[in-house]
Amino acid sequence: MSEAKRFRPAMAWLHTWAGLVVGWVLFAVFVTGTASYYKDDISRWMRPELRETVIDPAQSATAAAGFLAKQAPDSGGWLVMLPKPDQPLTEVYWWKSFAGPFHHALLDPVTGTPTGARDTQAGEFLYRFHFELALPPLVGRWIVGACAMVLLIALISGIVTHRRIFADFFTFRPDRSRQRAWLDAHNLFGVLALPFHLMITYTGLMTLGPMLMPWGLQAAYKDEAPHFYVEAGLMPKGRMPAGTAAEGLPLGEIVRIAGKDGGELPEALMVSSPGDAAATVSAVFEEPHGLAHLHPQIAYDAVTGAELARNLPAGPATRTATVMYGLHEAHFAPHALRVLFFLCGLLGAATVASGLVLWTVARAPKGAAPEGFGLRLVRILNVGTIAGLPAGIAAFFLANRLLPLDLAGRASWEVGLFFGAWVGVALAGALAPRRLAWPLTLGLAAATFVAIVPADLALIGEPRFVPFDIAMLLVGALLIVAARTAARPPSALARRAATRVAEA
Amino acid sequence: MSAATLLLCAALAFAGMAALALSLDRHHRVALRGPVPRGRVRPLRAVGWAGIVLSFAAAIALDGWNFGPVQATGAITAAALGVALCLTFRPGWLRPAALAALPLAAACLPFALAA
Repeated sequence: MSEAKRFRPAMAWLHTWAGLVVGWVLFAVFVTGTASYYKDDISRWMRPELRETVIDPAQSATAAAGFLAKQAPDSGGWLVMLPKPDQPLTEVYWWKSFAGPFHHALLDPVTGTPTGARDTQAGEFLYRFHFELALPPLVGRWIVGACAMVLLIALISGIVTHRRIFADFFTFRPDRSRQRAWLDAHNLFGVLALPFHLMITYTGLMTLGPMLMPWGLQAAYKDEAPHFYVEAGLMPKGRMPAGTAAEGLPLGEIVRIAGKDGGELPEALMVSSPGDAAATVSAVFEEPHGLAHLHPQIAYDAVTGAELARNLPAGPATRTATVMYGLHEAHFAPHALRVLFFLCGLLGAATVASGLVLWTVARAPKGAAPEGFGLRLVRILNVGTIAGLPAGIAAFFLANRLLPLDLAGRASWEVGLFFGAWVGVALAGALAPRRLAWPLTLGLAAATFVAIVPADLALIGEPRFVPFDIAMLLVGALLIVAARTAARPPSALARRAATRVAEA
Repeated sequence: MSAATLLLCAALAFAGMAALALSLDRHHRVALRGPVPRGRVRPLRAVGWAGIVLSFAAAIALDGWNFGPVQATGAITAAALGVALCLTFRPGWLRPAALAALPLAAACLPFALAA
């Protein structure tokens, strides 16, 4: 065979096996990442005690500083994220050194005391899961980074493998053989949203870039990595602590000064060496309203309020990198466009899922012949991931409503139930007879999503949460359709289609 | 960057994608009974690409080179998905839907300009 003739089968082999090995992780990354487009909405729903109020960010900053000074008098730095009208809480982090650990609290925007909101990780859990998998951060990021690299390989080899991209562009034939139908679905989901798939994979790798490929930075900056961020225009130049204590201005005063200098109120304050005579407060502004995810900053002397430094202007490399961050996170996207990003994310998850199912369908034994070990393992992992993860997410939301408010370690219980439901549904799928595995597990996931709605209506029941509840019903309905389709014997689909053709 | 702009781009892209789909025998057969008449393939393809190019151009004209390409890509993806679903489950609706998309796009224009 000539080199050219061997090329496509080689790419097909690469696509098949690269996709299979990382498919389960990627499905979880796609689903939780897609949900993260609505991270703030999820967090609002999961903390129903917080309501929209009139906020005064300057007052909130001063109140938060009061809390931090008492809570962590000897910390090396604070991050104060100021409240917004639709997010009426001050989120604070503090730490001794950048090596961690990082402490975290949610404060009432007026009093600066911890909020009375229920203990939950809220949308932050799903968001972090999509690049850390609830593992120690570095471990999780390396696994997701490695899987994303393989996904990029799978995407490129998939494009090469696909013989008829244009001729089959709109083709979906659920009435043909099972294998044909799943291949059509896989091609359709993959090709239609291909620009999104390539973008999200590549930009996702970029966000992990400094971790995956640290050598350039290490070679050029040795142990002085912060200099890189200053020179790249990502943060203003800092300074060393003086070692003597001094009373700083109230943080609210800095918010006011920064609001005047920056043209709008900052969204966060980064305080280095609080309480020191050379303490610095960097006011971090919302990204300018473009694709780039740039955060302009102005650094102030915490004691006098004098401006110390601003970001250097961002060069082409920084702008390119920040546009990639921006595209990945889509913070700029208003409602309608956000729906499309969400849809494309679902198509990504559907591409992975249909590819995984296709692997088993293409190798399924004829009739009632027993399946081999490898096939059985892949099928069980498919059921466990594709039906189990949604069930876990639903259980996470349901637990948020049902768990007692004063339960110790409540946030961890929610996460525990996320994994518990996931494993439970996966086990049910593994133990069920082959024909029942998909309908049973998809049905369980659907039931859990639908159950969220009465739980919310009975325990909270506020009009502002109706859109979220409707979304849960829609996901539930989608899963019911999937469960019913999976429950139908394959011949029924073909028969129905045959009658349709005969009528036509 | 408004919903009206997005709908306008999606409607133009839908009409274009539908024309491209109808230029293929397989889809023409289920949507309009019978293969594509001879001499109709080229016009359908021309109209199809025109719809997609217009959708992209509208996004650039209304939103500039910053957000425009993102909007257009999203709108074209959604339109293609719509055409594929329509062909699978309601093939008879494809031509009427594509024809209805054009006045819809026109109706969106004033809102897109005002936003």
